Amino acid sequence: MLDLFRRYRFLFLAVLLLLVTVILYSYNLRKKTTTTFFERAVLTFAAPFQSAIDSTSDSVKGVWSNYIWLVDTRQHNLELEKENAELRARLNQMSEYRLENERLKRLLAFVDDLDMAALPAQVVGEDASNWARTIIIDKGTSAGLKNGLAVVAADGVVGRIIKISTNSARVLLITDASSAVASLVQRTRTRGVARGRGEDLSVEYSLRSADIQAGDLLVTSGMGGIFPKGLPIGRIETVEKDQYGLFQRLSATTTVDFSHLEEVLVIVGNPL
Amino acid sequence: MRRFFFYLILALIFALLQTSVFPLFFSPNWRPSLILLLVLYVGLREPSLRAVVTCLFLGAIQDSFCGHSVGLYLTVYLTILLIVLGLSEQLNIESSPLLLALVVGGTLVENLLLWFYLTVLADSAPALHILLPGVPQQLIVNLLAALLLLALLARVKRLFGLRRGFTSLIVAGRAHVS
Repeated sequence: MLDLFRRYRFLFLAVLLLLVTVILYSYNLRKKTTTTFFERAVLTFAAPFQSAIDSTSDSVKGVWSNYIWLVDTRQHNLELEKENAELRARLNQMSEYRLENERLKRLLAFVDDLDMAALPAQVVGEDASNWARTIIIDKGTSAGLKNGLAVVAADGVVGRIIKISTNSARVLLITDASSAVASLVQRTRTRGVARGRGEDLSVEYSLRSADIQAGDLLVTSGMGGIFPKGLPIGRIETVEKDQYGLFQRLSATTTVDFSHLEEVLVIVGNPL
Repeated sequence: MRRFFFYLILALIFALLQTSVFPLFFSPNWRPSLILLLVLYVGLREPSLRAVVTCLFLGAIQDSFCGHSVGLYLTVYLTILLIVLGLSEQLNIESSPLLLALVVGGTLVENLLLWFYLTVLADSAPALHILLPGVPQQLIVNLLAALLLLALLARVKRLFGLRRGFTSLIVAGRAHVS
């Protein structure tokens, strides 16, 4: 028996070891969540090495991919830059469309309130001098416009057409020194004439006894036959009364911001 | 005749710049009066008859792009041109500082004449209220524009090999320094 064991010693030990490992495995199968001492020791020992290897590997990988293996990177970068520029341009365009849409919606709402036939036009130019206040719009006689027609924006009165060609027209703004618009203070119905002063308006011929206060809305009176009655012109800014005299001195800021005017409406017809 | 058409085309380009490009970047008082600079240049460089005819067309172009009554700038520019023609016989027109002094004088005279005609003839009394605050800015931008145009002219002449007038002095001076 002993001879037999000696002869097959290696085989017996191998089978025994195999059995032990199988039993160990079988035992550990039932205790999946338990970490053995051995496992803990191995993990503890291996952890710093693993970290070191991992960081070294990352570094090498980083150096390799960032500094050595750069075959397609430049091309990829150029493509991305191009795509980025295209997307930015598209985004700007979308933003421009959105703003234009908002402005046109306001203009359309204004047309509905106006109850008159009106033609939208784009502002394409300004006056060549620094003292005159005129703008050029992109509609002319071919669109049915003619001299003298009133031009308005969503915020109020802009001016009137003074010169016209086939595809463009020049509009005299109400802020021009030669412009005068018959006006009314909305709250008190006091009459006056709004004259341009470049950036703002002076309101002349308003009776001294009339009650006018800063902030009052100035609207068109409808006299003169160019502007329909009740369109906003501006807001009273200052009120000055001398001790003597028939009239008071008023200044007003326009309701329309002429420095940012892009679309206007030309009132082409009679009330609808 | 070629020079005459050249001035007209240049004036049209200047008018387009003043009406469609400058408004995008500058407020009214900070926009240079390029056609005025052209009038001054024509007054210094061209024979009297050609200068007067060209100036009338330049004034008409400016009137077409400005205000509402044709004739205002015709009158103003013609007055300025006649003053320049009178001065050019007395002074050394080859001097570029003289041109800059003329720009200052021309801008002041332009504003003075505009105020006069707008107040006396057109009954636009608030014009003074608009013109007066803008004079300092107009002086600055017109001077800057004149300097830029002179530098541009010198470069163009160097490119095309032309050496005449006061620009030749600038070119010769730079060549001498370098």
